[in-house]
Amino acid sequence: MSKNELEKLVSLQDLDLMIGEAKEVEKLGFNMNGYDELIKAREKLAQDIPKPLLARYERLRAKLKRAVVPVKDDICLGCFLRQPTSRGSRGREESLIFTCESCGRILYWLD
Amino acid sequence: METHELALYFDENLFISDMKARNKEESLQELSELIASQRYIRNPGLILDMLHQRETLGSTGIGKGVAIPHGRTVAASDVVIAFGKSEKGIDYNSIDNKPAQLFFMVIAPFHDEKNIYLPILGSLVTFLNQKKNRERISQVTSFDEFISIIRGE
Repeated sequence: MSKNELEKLVSLQDLDLMIGEAKEVEKLGFNMNGYDELIKAREKLAQDIPKPLLARYERLRAKLKRAVVPVKDDICLGCFLRQPTSRGSRGREESLIFTCESCGRILYWLD
Repeated sequence: METHELALYFDENLFISDMKARNKEESLQELSELIASQRYIRNPGLILDMLHQRETLGSTGIGKGVAIPHGRTVAASDVVIAFGKSEKGIDYNSIDNKPAQLFFMVIAPFHDEKNIYLPILGSLVTFLNQKKNRERISQVTSFDEFISIIRGE
């Protein structure tokens, strides 16, 4: 099943985190000889995201470090502002891209 | 992190004493679907995708029959470790090219506020580097036996 745009952003951020933590994980004894392959995978995934959305992701990432944040119990875990309940049901079912009205981050509903 | 503290992150419902998986891909699917079935994650596909990317970086088969597939993702709400044991062993492209029998899948949220993900991985590696621990874990048939060993009892 192909991913929707929100899922692609989640995967992109997961990849960015993995790339950023690779050195620390390597120190624990894990093999990291595919680092260059992972960078290529990141580039490929980024190309599959519409340019305006990717640009928004990169801006948020540069400014706030985390561009996509989870929402749990209707709370944005980026800034801890409560989100309207009505947004949650739409965010979960339709995977629409919502941003937090307080911090501007892109929201991913966990539950 | 002390090894016995790892016990906090295991769950009886995330324990498989005899995995059905016959290959690496099936092993990742079996454990990630188990985690999703217990509602730790909403979308198992995103976790599986992240785990595939992690394997691109390098196999998480650390040798001596042990695999520790792991990663952090926005799609996870809590740190969890799923355990599975394969009696026959699975070709996992491990660093020593030997089959993996003990699988510890570690999934952590992106917002790891307590910063416990890397210490958990480090403690697991330390624990599993000891031959007697691997041998004892490979004999377990129940979660109670398993968690006793993790607790150092």
